[in-house]
Parts: sequence; structure tokens; C-alpha cells
Amino acid sequence: MSETDHSDTPEGGDPIVAGEFVLGVIEASERSTVAQRIEREPEFASEIAFWEERLGSFADEVKPVAPPEAAWSRIEAAIAAPVRSPALAFGSLWQNLFFWRIVGLGSSGLATACLIALAYFGTVAAPERAPLLATLGQQGGQPGFVAAIGSGGSLVIVPASLLTANQKSMELWLIPTGTQARPRSLGLIAPSQPVRITVPPNLVPFVTPDASLAVSLEEPGGSRTGAPSNDIIAVGKLTNL
Amino acid sequence: MDAIAANRSQLAAALARVAAGDRAALRIVYQDTSAKLFGVCLRILNDRGEAEDVLQDVYVTVWRKAGSFDPARASPITWLVAIARNRAIDRLRASAASRRSEPIESAEDVRDDAPAALELVVAAEQRERLKTCLGELEERHSAVIRSAFLDGVTYEQLAQRMEVPLGTMKSWIRRGLMKLRTCLER
Repeated sequence: MSETDHSDTPEGGDPIVAGEFVLGVIEASERSTVAQRIEREPEFASEIAFWEERLGSFADEVKPVAPPEAAWSRIEAAIAAPVRSPALAFGSLWQNLFFWRIVGLGSSGLATACLIALAYFGTVAAPERAPLLATLGQQGGQPGFVAAIGSGGSLVIVPASLLTANQKSMELWLIPTGTQARPRSLGLIAPSQPVRITVPPNLVPFVTPDASLAVSLEEPGGSRTGAPSNDIIAVGKLTNL
Repeated sequence: MDAIAANRSQLAAALARVAAGDRAALRIVYQDTSAKLFGVCLRILNDRGEAEDVLQDVYVTVWRKAGSFDPARASPITWLVAIARNRAIDRLRASAASRRSEPIESAEDVRDDAPAALELVVAAEQRERLKTCLGELEERHSAVIRSAFLDGVTYEQLAQRMEVPLGTMKSWIRRGLMKLRTCLER
């Protein structure tokens, strides 16, 4: 190797490409290319693991800094289990709507689900701008869920038809607009009851008209890969009311 | 079993429970490691707000990916540090181009109010090995490799910082990595 090196493919091959990735010296565009290889190529992933493990001792030098107290609650909220209906602070209005929803499922589940989703914002989140609404259609066009998200990131998702998940978990995903839009998990939802979720603050900017929501079936506990399984059961675009 | 080995297996056990969907175990992992990982993120991002966002992302990733942690291949803390660094570097690259131009030393000023509860050092043996191998490199090569790891800076930024051409910086780091790898494998 000469004293200067202008090439993009280093002499040492994959071990060096992996080392460069772990060090973090390459630019963003290259990083995503290399990151994809880690997912696809087990041998290359071993090279990455080698460097992560061996260079990891550098981190000993970094002074620990206590994160703010609020940091944990945000994490807890982001991984939160579905909130059961009594915990939704809808009071008696809620109880009534829940009853109506059961009654209404046979004939107008969708309309009732919309009503519930909107009632939530009407009663709880009045100061916010108008929520974005999505109807998540199932295969065959049947509406599966209705969701509404307020500008602050409070989301309520309501089943619009009777769904069962068998042994699987249902996971809700936000699919941002744009070409680099990888789905971001919003947490697990329940097939048979409305669920309230707080969109993590770092994802709130992605809640825009034309972004989509999708529900996938996952192994119990949710996706372990950070990406949805191929089993997407309902999807729909967010639109302005 | 010494204290570090005990920490290590305790943390590995907690990660196994996280993989099984145990929220209390994630809390344990967080208590034991968040100050270290926050320090790592802060060092790279040099911005408390950004570091907090990334920290959240890191533990949500841990929650989802704990099942992919392989105790035979990685120690728990280096696995966690790798996730934190990756997220922090991705965030740094994504945020407006090189917002950060001041020298890294400014990151030293951050308030150090971490609980001294748990020492999260990697095995002493491994640390010594890296030190020995770095010692075999040319000094400037080992210095830029260390700096790259800790600050998450690009070739371009390192070249500017050291006032050498980009090609020279690539050559330094690549040579350094090649020698380092041979030595670390021994």
C-alpha cells in the first residue's frame, strides 16, 4: 500500500472494510451499503463482530454520564404493552362507546371505530391540531383498523372488524414517506380492543400525511429483527381529516 | 469468578431474559449500562438532546434484538456499545453535514455525574491485548484509529483535523487496521 490511498476498496479486503465500518470512518452512503451486507452475509458479519469485540475496549476510556431521569420513561413507553381499555382515560363516554362498538361490529364496525378514534381526540387532546387518520385495509379490501394520530404523537388504533392473531402478536408499524423509508415499530397492539400508543418523540417527525401505518403478525413479544415479518395483515395511508 | 466476569454473566443473563420479553430485565440492563452508553453517545454527538434520542433508540433496539446477542461471540458490554456507536454515528451522519467542527476535547466538559455503581470494563486481558497491538503501530496510525472509534468521525474529518490529504488518512487507517488485525488474531 502506498503512502496515499485513494481507492474505495481497500487492499486488505473484507476484514478492512469491516474495520472501517466499525471505526465509523466511512460516509453515510457507504455505511448503508455495508450495513446491508452485514444482514445478508454471515461471514462478513463475523468480521464486523471481530472488530466490535476487539476495538470495544476503547470505550473504557469514555466517562459514564448519567442520562436524565426521563430517559427511562420514554424507553418504557416505547416498548409498552397495549394499554387495556380501563386505563384509557375516556371515563364513562369510553365505556359507552366500547359497548356501542361491540353492538355495531356486525353492521358498521368501521363507522364506529372512526367515532371512537375521533372521540378520543375530541375529549382528550383538544389543544392539538387536527389528527391524521388512517383506515388500515386488509387483503380483500376489508377495513381492519382505524387509527388516529395527534400532532403530539398520541395515537389510538381501533379494530374495525373481528380479528384473531392466534398465537402471534400484532405489531404496528409506521412507514415514513420517501425512498429510505424503513418501517419503524410503534409497538404491539391488541386484535380485539382499542389501544393507545405514544409515538416515540424521535419518530413524531415521520408522522406526516402520506406516511403509512401497517399491522404485521409477529412471534409473541414482537419482531426481534426490527423489521416487520412478511405477514402484513393491514395497511393504510395517513390522511388529513 | 472475579467481579468483571460476574458482571458479564449477570448482564448476559439479563439480556437472555430481555430476549424472552421480560421488561424488568431490560430495566436491569438499563440501570447497569445506560450511563456508559449515554457517555458513548454524548462523546460522538456532543449534544445532550441528540444523545438522549439515540439512547432511547438504543434500548428499544436492545429490546427487539436481544435474541441476536450471542454470548459466545461478544461480551454483553461490547455488544451494547456497538449498538450505541452505530446508532450515534448514523444520527451524526444524518444530521446536517458536520455541524460539529470544534475540537473533540469540548466533549470532556460534559458534566460527569454518573453513578459509580458498576464498573463496566471489558475483560482486562482483552484491553491489554488491544493496548499491546496498538503499541506495535506507528504512533500516528494508532492515534487516528483511537480517535475515529471514540469520536465517530469520517476519513474526511480526520484528514482535516490532522491536516493531511484524504488519501493519506485512508492509508494510515487501513495500514493500521491490517497490522492490528494480524496482531489481535495472534
